Amino acid sequence: MAASTSQIDTTIQIVTPENIAFDYQVAGPFRRWPAYLLDLAARFGLLLVIMVAASLLDWLGAGALAVAGILLVWFLLEWFYGGFFESYWNGQTPGKWLLGIRVLTIHGQPINALQAVMRNVLRTVDMYPLISLQVLGDLPPVYLFPTFFLGLVVMSSNRRFQRLGDLVCGTMVVSEERPWWTGMVQGEDPRAALLAELLPADMSISPDMARTLASYVERRGGFTAARRREIARHLGIPLTRQLGLPDDTSEDLLLCALYHRAFIGAAHENGWRRSGG
Amino acid sequence: MKVAELLAQRRADWQQLEREIDQLQARRRQMTADRATRFAELYRAACADLARADAWQLPPRTVQYLHRLVGRAHNQLYRSRTFNFAVWGRVLLHEVPRRIVREPCVQLAFLLFWGVFFASAFLAFSPATWPNYAEQMLTTAGIEQLETSFANPLAGRELQDDVVMTSLYIRHNTSIGLKCFAGGLLVIPGVFITLFNAAYLGAAFGYMARPEVVEGVHFFEFVTAHGPFELTAIVLSAGAGFRLGVAWLAPGRLCRLASLRRAAEEAMPVMGAAMSLFFLAALIEGFISPAALPWGVKLAVALFSAAVLVFYLVFLGSQRSGADAVG
Repeated sequence: MAASTSQIDTTIQIVTPENIAFDYQVAGPFRRWPAYLLDLAARFGLLLVIMVAASLLDWLGAGALAVAGILLVWFLLEWFYGGFFESYWNGQTPGKWLLGIRVLTIHGQPINALQAVMRNVLRTVDMYPLISLQVLGDLPPVYLFPTFFLGLVVMSSNRRFQRLGDLVCGTMVVSEERPWWTGMVQGEDPRAALLAELLPADMSISPDMARTLASYVERRGGFTAARRREIARHLGIPLTRQLGLPDDTSEDLLLCALYHRAFIGAAHENGWRRSGG
Repeated sequence: MKVAELLAQRRADWQQLEREIDQLQARRRQMTADRATRFAELYRAACADLARADAWQLPPRTVQYLHRLVGRAHNQLYRSRTFNFAVWGRVLLHEVPRRIVREPCVQLAFLLFWGVFFASAFLAFSPATWPNYAEQMLTTAGIEQLETSFANPLAGRELQDDVVMTSLYIRHNTSIGLKCFAGGLLVIPGVFITLFNAAYLGAAFGYMARPEVVEGVHFFEFVTAHGPFELTAIVLSAGAGFRLGVAWLAPGRLCRLASLRRAAEEAMPVMGAAMSLFFLAALIEGFISPAALPWGVKLAVALFSAAVLVFYLVFLGSQRSGADAVG
């Protein structure tokens, strides 16, 4: 893991109360923008539903109540939709839920209601500058189009992709991917297991080497034969010489065999410490 | 033991944890104590596995899998706190008034708003100093609209119109307050919105006070009752917004970000008080102001709300909590 923390990446390390450090993937603008659009659509949808319900009320003769209801719901959706959902849905709005992202504090803890409301109210500022739609033609001056330019600039200037509202509230948005299980790569090439048997029994594989082997073998499925040879020869050729194997040994096969020896093969214990130590 | 065996052994637990997360995520049904304990156990076990990943030399993809698994479980274990209305009520009644009274930004907003308001009212009232000021500020169309709105004596309306207008005021006025607050973070928009509202309202008051404007009587009769709450709410939103702007302009001994975060915690409850005032003002503006009540009743409402404000700010605001007295 020491290697991964120094990488230039969009991961943020969190230390939990259990004193465990783990990495979060921070969500960037291209994940959050669709979530916002989905929420916008949901807001309009809700307002439409309320309007239909209101027209029923109107038909029953309570027209004024219906109009008042629409106005109030409109106000609440406009300002408190995000704050409400993020407090009750554990940092997610429906749009964020669909996109698999979640709001957390910068320390990886859940946000409270104050932060949820405030970061949504402050979105008004992230929308700046507002452009009048009059540039497009003869429209009333009330239609202002938010550009989100300021929010985008602020987001790209810090490593947690925080917009202004996030900076003020000390929150960030992380993407919460469903982990996929890969396990060990097995049975790709039956000859690898055979070659592993031929390797010297006292050969030790260093942790660095094991990590390198895993990185290679986990990805080799996506490469062509020529590409595999090209990548594998850097490690394969010196090892072939060192182990005294025939020169025509496939480097790719050799790395697979070493991987098999390191992670899967139970034939020899070669200095491997036991688990749980 | 080889890594493959170890993974095979641990995998059942990780999969169970995944299933628990999915269930928690899908619907938050009440967890039994057993299952909650089991969940915490599985989570801690996964954390421990991640911590030992290096020692066990787990392959990189498995480590990545564990990071994601632990991250998702962590988010389900530590959940967001929802609205606690009892706490918010206590904050609004005890902490906010003290903060408002001592907050220099609110005082600045107060001076700025009322200074510009009265200056603008004077300019609009007497055409001698700046001819056409009222026409420039309010626009001719705006003046016409004002005059037609208040051409007739307030005769009251149907109750249902009152309901509609009240929600319209809640939406419109509170939105202005929230925009003013958020704009304060960038300083210039906040100051601009505050000054514009002060100048516009001042000009309207000044113009309507001119002796030749006959509609003025109805206008003042209309604005009396809800004036105290609404104007105070505007000043409070502006002050809370300024607090955000000042926090990063003059952070003092904190770094700018830390200063902003602290200001946010202080300013949001003040904005909450402002929103409550906007709400009360809208109720009065919708139901009492347009009613055909004698002016004395409306004046009484205004005096009563002013007294409430004085009680809130002066009495509750000067109270000392135990913590303050010690500190």
